[in-house]
Amino acid sequence: MRVVIGEDEALMRGGLTLVLEQAGFEIVGAAEDGDDLVRKALAHAPDLLVTDIRMPPSHTDEGLRAALEVRAARPDIAVLVLSQHLQRRYASELLEQRSAGIGYLLKQRVANVEAFVADVRRICAGGTVLDPEVVSTLLRRARRDDDPLHRLTPRQLEVLGLMAEGRSNAAIAERLTISEKAVVKHASHIYDELELPVSGDDHRRVLAVVRYLAV
Amino acid sequence: MRLGTPRSTNARSLAQAGAAIALLAGVEVVLLVDGPGEPTWIVVLFPAVACAYLAAGVLAGLRRPHNRTGGLLVAGALAWLVASLGNVEPPALVVVGVVCATLPLAVVVHLLHGFPSGRLRGRFSRATVAAAYFVTLVLQAPLYLFAPSGLPGEPLMVADSPGLAEAGHWVQDVAGTLVMVATSVLLHRRLRAASPAQRRVLGPLAAYGIVAVVFVVLAAQLADRVLTGYQEERVVVQLALMAGVPLAFAAGVLRGGFARMRDVEELGAWLGADEGGRPTLSAALAETLGDRSLELVLWVPEAGGYVDFAGAPVTLPSGDVERPVVEIRRDGRRIGAIAYDATLIADRSLVEAAARMTAVALDHERLTVELIASRDQVRRSAARVVEAADDERRRIARDLHDGLQARLVVLAIGANGLATDRELPDAARARATGLRTGIEAVVDELRTLVQGVMPAALIERGLSAATEDLADRMPLPTEVDVDRAVSHAGAKLPPAIELAGYFVVAEALANAVKHAQAHELRIHLARPDGHLRIEVSDDGVGGAAAGAGTGMRGMADRIDVLGGRLTVTSPPGGGTRIVAELPCAS
Repeated sequence: MRVVIGEDEALMRGGLTLVLEQAGFEIVGAAEDGDDLVRKALAHAPDLLVTDIRMPPSHTDEGLRAALEVRAARPDIAVLVLSQHLQRRYASELLEQRSAGIGYLLKQRVANVEAFVADVRRICAGGTVLDPEVVSTLLRRARRDDDPLHRLTPRQLEVLGLMAEGRSNAAIAERLTISEKAVVKHASHIYDELELPVSGDDHRRVLAVVRYLAV
Repeated sequence: MRLGTPRSTNARSLAQAGAAIALLAGVEVVLLVDGPGEPTWIVVLFPAVACAYLAAGVLAGLRRPHNRTGGLLVAGALAWLVASLGNVEPPALVVVGVVCATLPLAVVVHLLHGFPSGRLRGRFSRATVAAAYFVTLVLQAPLYLFAPSGLPGEPLMVADSPGLAEAGHWVQDVAGTLVMVATSVLLHRRLRAASPAQRRVLGPLAAYGIVAVVFVVLAAQLADRVLTGYQEERVVVQLALMAGVPLAFAAGVLRGGFARMRDVEELGAWLGADEGGRPTLSAALAETLGDRSLELVLWVPEAGGYVDFAGAPVTLPSGDVERPVVEIRRDGRRIGAIAYDATLIADRSLVEAAARMTAVALDHERLTVELIASRDQVRRSAARVVEAADDERRRIARDLHDGLQARLVVLAIGANGLATDRELPDAARARATGLRTGIEAVVDELRTLVQGVMPAALIERGLSAATEDLADRMPLPTEVDVDRAVSHAGAKLPPAIELAGYFVVAEALANAVKHAQAHELRIHLARPDGHLRIEVSDDGVGGAAAGAGTGMRGMADRIDVLGGRLTVTSPPGGGTRIVAELPCAS
C-alpha cells in the first residue's frame, strides 16, 4: 500500500510515517502545504492520501481543499483527513463526492496504533470511517420535535452511530454484546423509521445514514 | 485687550490731524474771502468740500480705526484745501494750488480702488492708482508750463506756447481716460466676483465715484468750449458731486453691508444664550459679521496647528490681504483664529471685537472638541488593546494547535509502543496503556482549551462556518440563516470583526440556553451596507437586559470598541432578540 502524507508539523509527520511504515505501508511522498500535496498525490498516484486540514501558507483549510481536489481528479485514491477539531460540514463535504474510501478522524487517534491501522486498512479497502466524535456530535445534535430521529430508541441510535463510524454488523454486535442477528434487526428498523432504501452494499448504507445525519 | 493701545493711538492722531486740517480750512476761508476774482460764496465752497471730506474721514476713522478709508478721506480733505489755494491771494500759495489743481480727482480714484478696506489690493490696482496721481500731478504740468495761469509775473510758465499746452492737455485727457477705463474694468471685475451683499454696497459706490470723476472732467472741458455762459452753475454742480464722494464712502465703510456694531452686541447676547438652542459658534459669527466664508478654527498647542470643530487639521492663509486672519486669545494664550473675507468685512477691528467676545465660548467649545478627540483616542487605543489581545489569542492557539498537540500525540504513540511491547511485563504494559489514554485525555482538554481561545472553524472557514459549528453543538434546535453576502468565499471579514461577531453569537447562544427557557434558537447573519449584522433570537421568557451579566458586558464592550452597536429586545414573555451591528467596509 503506497501512501502520500500531508502534514506541516515535522514531529507529527515523523510519528505518522513511523506508525504506517511499521504497519507495512510505503510512504512515497510527504508534503508540507496544500499545493505540494496535490502535486505529489497526482504524481505518485498512491493508494491512500493522509492529510492534516490546516497547513501553510494560509493555515486555514488547505489540507481539506487539497484532498477534495485530489479526490475529484482521482476518485480511486482513498483519503484520510486528520484534524484536531471535527466539523460536521467537513464530513459532508468529504462524503459528498463519493463515499468509498473516505476517513475523517481526530489526529490523536493515531496513538491507538492498532485501531488506527485497522481504520486505515478499512479506508483503503473502500470503507468509510468517521470519528466517533463526529458521529456523536451528529447524533447529539438538537433536533426539532418532528425529526424522525426522535422515533429511534437509544439502542437503535447506538447502532446507527456505529454504522456511521463504518463498523460492520459483526463489529457492532461485538461492541454492543448482542447477536449479529439483533444488529440486522435494529438496522432494518432504522431504515424503516428513517425511510432509507435497503441495500446490501455496506458503505452505501453508511453513506445513506451519514447523508441523512449530515443534512 | 491686545488691540487697545494701537486703537487709541490711531484715534488720537486722527483727531489731531482733523483739528489741524480744520484750522487750515479756516485760514483758507479767510484767505479766499480776501482773494481776487470770483464771487466769494463760490470760492468758499472749495474748503466746504474739504470739510465734508474731513468730517467723513474723521467719523469713519474713529468708528473703524483699522480701516484706512478714514485716513484716505482725511488726505482727500488736505488735497482739496491745497487744490483750492489757486484762488487765494499770496502768489506762493497760488503756485501750490495750480500745481495740485486736479489732485482731488486722483484721491477719488484711490478711494474707489481701496474700498472697502482703504488698502490697495493687487498690482493692477496699485498701478492704476499710481497712474492717477501721475496724470493729476505730472501731466498737469504742461498746462502751467506752457500757458499763462494768470499769476503776476507767471512764475511757473517757461514758454507761452499754446500748441504745447494744448498737446499736454490732450495727453492728460487720454491718460486720464485710460485710468478711468482701467478703474471701471477693475471695479466691474470685483463686482462680478462679489456676493450679492457686497454688490449692494460696492455697485452704487463705484458707479457714483466713476460718474463723479468723469462728469467733473467732462464738464470742465465742455465749459471751456461750449457752456461758457454757465460757469457758476457748472462749478456748483461739480463741487456738489465731489462733496458727495466722501459722504458716500464713509457711509459705505460704516454700513459696510458688512457689519454694524449692533450686530456684535447681538453676538454677545447669543453667547449668553442657552446652549441647547444655539447654532454653532462659527455659524453665529459668520451670520453676525455677514461673511458666510468666515472660518473659525481652534488652536491645538500639542499639534502646533489649527483644527476645525470636527478636529480636522486646517491650514490658514498667511499674509493674504484678501483673506486676513485674526487670532483669538484668552489670558494671553492663543486659543483660535478667525479667517475672513476682507472684501466682505472691511473693518478688521470688528473681527477683533468679535474675537474678544467669542474667546470664552471658543475656549469652551475647544474643550468639547478636545473631549471628543480624547474619546476617539480612547476608543482607538482600546481597539488596539483588543487587537493585540486577539493577535495573542491567535498566536497561543496556533502554538497549542501546532506544537503541543503534535508532541502529545507523538508521546502517546510512544506510550502505545510500550503497551504493545510483548517483551515487557503485563503490569508495565497496562500502565503504558493508562499513560496513552491519559495523554489522549490531555489532548482532548487541549482541544477544548484551544477551541475556547480561538475556534478552529473561525480560523479555517470564517464566521459563518464557526457559527454553524456552534449551532451544531447547541442542546437546543438552532436554525442558522447566513446571507450569501456573509458566507460566499470572497466575503472575508476583518479578523477583529469576525472574532467579535463570533463572541456575540457564542455569548448570545449561551445566555439563551442558560436563562431563556427557550425551545428554539435562531441565528441570522447579514451584511447590510457596510455593516455585519448579527441577530440571535429565541422563543423564551424574555426579560433580559443589555448590561446584565459579565458575558453580555464584555460583548457590549467589544462591539463598542469596534464602533458598533448592540441592541437587546427582550419583552417579558416575548423572547429575546440580540442584534449586533459592526461596521466593516465591504
